[in-house]
Amino acid sequence: MEAVAFAWLSAGIGLGITVFGVGTGIGRLAAAALEASSRQPENAGDIRTTMIIGAALIEGVALLAGVVCILLAVKQ
Amino acid sequence: MSTEPAAKHDSATTATAAHHDAAHAAGGHGATAEASDKFTFNKLLDKLGDHHELDIFFGTYEILPVVLLDQNNSLHMYPNLHAMEESGEYTMHHLAAPHHIVSTTIKDASGAPVGPKLDLSVTNFVAYQWIAMTIVTVIFAVVRGRYKKNPISAPRGIQNVIESVVLYVHDQIVRPNVGTDKRAMRLMPFMLSLFFFILTLNLISLLPGAHAATGALPVTMALATCTLVVVNYIAFKDAGVGSWFKHLLGGAPVYISPIMVPIELVGIITKPFALMIRLFANMTAGHIVLLSLVGLIFFFAQEMGEVVGWGVAPISVLFSVFIYLLELLVAFLQAYIFTMLSAVFVGLALGDHAAHDHHHDHAASH
Repeated sequence: MEAVAFAWLSAGIGLGITVFGVGTGIGRLAAAALEASSRQPENAGDIRTTMIIGAALIEGVALLAGVVCILLAVKQ
Repeated sequence: MSTEPAAKHDSATTATAAHHDAAHAAGGHGATAEASDKFTFNKLLDKLGDHHELDIFFGTYEILPVVLLDQNNSLHMYPNLHAMEESGEYTMHHLAAPHHIVSTTIKDASGAPVGPKLDLSVTNFVAYQWIAMTIVTVIFAVVRGRYKKNPISAPRGIQNVIESVVLYVHDQIVRPNVGTDKRAMRLMPFMLSLFFFILTLNLISLLPGAHAATGALPVTMALATCTLVVVNYIAFKDAGVGSWFKHLLGGAPVYISPIMVPIELVGIITKPFALMIRLFANMTAGHIVLLSLVGLIFFFAQEMGEVVGWGVAPISVLFSVFIYLLELLVAFLQAYIFTMLSAVFVGLALGDHAAHDHHHDHAASH
């Protein structure tokens, strides 16, 4: 295989791994937040806010990986 | 465009200008050229990039001024791209560098065409930002006028929307993160500007034919730089210079400072950097997904015949509508997150000081 083929392959596989990790991460985060807010519904607002910040930070890492994958995919 | 028509009118600038017009006017010509090209990701990204025409509502308008600083430091100004082509000094259709503005007269040592030293043109994204600024300014001027006229009567119309959003930003985003009421009020203008500017740009990007200016790194970089400056200014002013430098130690003993100081310095830069990448990638990703879903129709039509293309179209359109609605959510969410994280970073930079002042406030009120 030539270098460009490897780049495309790695972009695809890399994005797959990233999405797997981030999906797991945000899923666990949402599960924990849901559990917490069902135990203490009066704190649901605070928990949601904290969850969104956490989700944004996790997502940020994913997007960084996504940008790297895009850079690999547009390799000439 | 394909290389074939460009090859015909190589360097004759009047001819290239004509070709440029033809390519824009005749949709059919563009379609055939596109079909012969291999469908690549680059093309998709090009459409999302910055360019010298205004794209909005299904049309491309050459109404944006082109301002170029050439190698001899003299300024060239043209009312639009077409006028630039006609002047014969610069062209976008040079064979060696298509889609780039290059000089027709100046060449470098190897004979390759040279671009302008600095491109100060009003581009697509600049135009969107001006539009967004105008919209936000007009809305807030109207709302302000109404409050000035009837300060005690119930808000009506657009006042309701703005008031609830402003209150939400103050009560849920800024106040809980920055410690004191006074500081919250001082930060509100900046945070509100961030929120409404990003939100308006994100919503403009959802108009047909438009792109997200927040999906361009320079724009998000400028916004993140503002946050960087504000965060450190507030930390300097409210927590004091000594506290700011103490922060660089991260609470560790002084002899670990060779390790801690670089790490903390990097930490100061990383936070706005993450803001920059997050906003850029979120807005770009949504548009790439939309374009890819619509592109699937043409991909299938080309690879497996027109019937398959028609068959894929309804599914593709359904999915794009779903993603479009998701983008609407993301437009609000990203404006919220950028503002929220800016406020959180202010709180973090203040460290113990934010909480400390908070207690003071309570003590004073008792």
